[in-house]
Amino acid sequence: MPPSHTVRILDGNNFVVCEPTGDIEATPTEPTGLFSIDTRFLSKWVLTVNGERLNALSYDDLQYYESRFFLVPGLATHYVDAKLSIIRERAVGNSFREHITILNHDEKAVDLEIRMDAGCDFADLFEVKDEILNKKGEIYAEVEADRLRLGYRRGNFRRETVISSSEPARYDRNGFVYSIHLEPNEQWDTGIDVQTLAIGPGGRDLRLGLRVHGSERLTLQQDLEEWIAKAPKVNSEHDEVAATYRKCIVDLAALRFSPLSLGGQNIPAAGLPWFMTMFGRDSILTCLQTLPFTPELSATTLRVLGSLQGTRFDDFREEDPGRILHEMRYGETAAFEEQPHSPYYGSVDATPLFVVLLDEYEQWSGDAALVKELEQECRRAFRWIDDYADLVGNGYIWYERRNTETGLENQCWKDSWDSISYRDGTLPPFPRATCEVQGYAYDAKMRGARLAREFWDDPAYADQLEREAAALKERFNRDWWVEDGGYYALALDRDGRQCDVLSSNIGHLLWSGIVDEDRAERIAEHLVGPRLFTGWGVRTLAEGEVRYNPIGYHNGTVWPFDSSFCAWGLRRYGFPEEAAMIASGILDAAWYFDGRLPEAFGGYPREQTKFPVEYPTACSPQAWSTGAPLLLLRTMLGLEPHEGHLAVEPRLPIGMGRIEVLDIPGRWGRVDAFARGRLDLDQLAD
Amino acid sequence: MGDATTRFFEDLDQRGYEPVLAKVSGALRFDLHEGPQTLHWLVRIDRGNIKVSREDMEADTVVGTSPALFEELVSGRENGLAALLRGDMTVTGDGRLVVQMERIFPGSANSRGPQRYRKGVQ
Repeated sequence: MPPSHTVRILDGNNFVVCEPTGDIEATPTEPTGLFSIDTRFLSKWVLTVNGERLNALSYDDLQYYESRFFLVPGLATHYVDAKLSIIRERAVGNSFREHITILNHDEKAVDLEIRMDAGCDFADLFEVKDEILNKKGEIYAEVEADRLRLGYRRGNFRRETVISSSEPARYDRNGFVYSIHLEPNEQWDTGIDVQTLAIGPGGRDLRLGLRVHGSERLTLQQDLEEWIAKAPKVNSEHDEVAATYRKCIVDLAALRFSPLSLGGQNIPAAGLPWFMTMFGRDSILTCLQTLPFTPELSATTLRVLGSLQGTRFDDFREEDPGRILHEMRYGETAAFEEQPHSPYYGSVDATPLFVVLLDEYEQWSGDAALVKELEQECRRAFRWIDDYADLVGNGYIWYERRNTETGLENQCWKDSWDSISYRDGTLPPFPRATCEVQGYAYDAKMRGARLAREFWDDPAYADQLEREAAALKERFNRDWWVEDGGYYALALDRDGRQCDVLSSNIGHLLWSGIVDEDRAERIAEHLVGPRLFTGWGVRTLAEGEVRYNPIGYHNGTVWPFDSSFCAWGLRRYGFPEEAAMIASGILDAAWYFDGRLPEAFGGYPREQTKFPVEYPTACSPQAWSTGAPLLLLRTMLGLEPHEGHLAVEPRLPIGMGRIEVLDIPGRWGRVDAFARGRLDLDQLAD
Repeated sequence: MGDATTRFFEDLDQRGYEPVLAKVSGALRFDLHEGPQTLHWLVRIDRGNIKVSREDMEADTVVGTSPALFEELVSGRENGLAALLRGDMTVTGDGRLVVQMERIFPGSANSRGPQRYRKGVQ
């Protein structure tokens, strides 16, 4: 995926990834381009002056949707003696717009040929890392007097890039040219508009004009200002915490995505830029993390996921009645069913987490109407858990993919192929059941019982859910406890054998409440003990396990989102010091990334590397990494909705100083929370 | 006119209520084009209550496709959302209605659904 020197701007799922000059020359290793609806609409966009490439003096990301490049002709040299300056300003919204300014600093007049090479391979987002040799459709270029039309046609599937300019240009099949004359100190400007079209038969755009998030530049600016103004304010004695918080709020704004089926409301997408789409798991977990700060995301996420809940069996998409979707895509591979994302349902945690989020959201917002609106969806989710997810018939949620070509092998959050193993390092057969998902199911039933009793007027159903939850908890504590390790197994295989490795998943179990009280202390000890805790956060897999690798994707790296749920779990079971250790480690790490936590970083001990080693990752910002500092703030401040008001019970480490969170929205209106660091974590470590 | 298409709409009309559409209200018209001829099915939904007719009347959402593709869709041999993405099925008006309506199309005909694991049986 693109190295970090690429520049990205975006609005919703329209985005540009380019070189520091603003140019685009896509290759499999540098998948730059202009993208929209999971399709590349420009793979070549190279500006030259009199045949010469340009050299970047600097660039600015003005906002997440606009950037500016300062350029001079010629390649990089030690000393650039430029008689010309070129400024490229661009923004993405409904279209991609670039404004080019050329300044002549010479005392002589100049004649210039300004050329933009433009081309497109119309790659599906799933193809951009490969050599694209055999597109099944036909690529075309049509030159008109005032525009260049680049297109791709495969049956009725048609995508077009239409390029036009405010200043007259000469168009050819490979770009367009301006011939200009500039007197000394004279300036020339042009605006270029690039439209991305998804054309159906009859010439209409398939997107139906439903896009609301993302229109004019002013609107985007206003929208961002309003978003920031609406979120609570965080002030901290040490600037880092408040700065990280502000970064997260802006990144969350960028990560908002408006699915076509919801008429313009926003949900958090998973990650920028390659995962700007709807994901069940990522969207729900991000909402849970950000509820105290941006609760409106939760309501729309619940509505949209509910409106696409599975209704039938489809093995290719792994759809079942009641199942909550995993991922939706709009590109060619989804359209022609070369990939199953129309939508794909292959995840086992999104369904119980859907109910968990609804309950948590109600506790904060008091939005009883939404709880009533989604009653049937919750009941269907429970039927899926009981009837379709229990592939072994022993009361747990299992997975085994039915789409053996393009489906996911591991349908839990640790979804890489080697993430689930026994202590000897071997991989279990399918079906598999992972521990954290059983915790989510327990939590969903306990919370569902509250909803049934308080809002659905069905106490019998509430009792039933509570009985089922209690039985699950008892069963789970019997079958998953690893006696010689003092923790819960990562997974069970189909014959009941434990995948008896020590993993971060036990932290999610604390969060869910499925852990027996008398075992919680041992789990807490593991989470902040030397095998799991690096000093920054919790390793996905403990040091000492056969598959442990400090840079193993799900086998040893630290995922900030994962650690944030571990901290929440510790707090839930009455271990605020341990929670604060993790919170303070992750927030320290955030500062090394200028407040923007990556998806994952290396599991090396903190004292060994002194700084968190970034895992080379596809996406930044990532929604649930962006949500992590917010959940950690909640955890440290002990923010809990309680009988209609907001309880605050801060437990901050000494080094954190004073923190205040102002205007926390909820059923109480808006309230403030104040905290001062009083916990001596060094003492705890000793 | 395909048999499955007629059956689908007649069943729907007879059922009169579809819980999956309980939150949906609006009128969808399906225009099935074949050469110069277009067949119309009008589905009026009022919070899950459904009335089907053959009227060519104004609707919130107009869905256009060939009778052959529609026959496949209501037989579970083709998927509605994929057909929309391909442009084989077109929509004008409120797109949300067709996304909801698509959910009551039958599942894939070859799908087995979740399979219970039994020891020793693969």
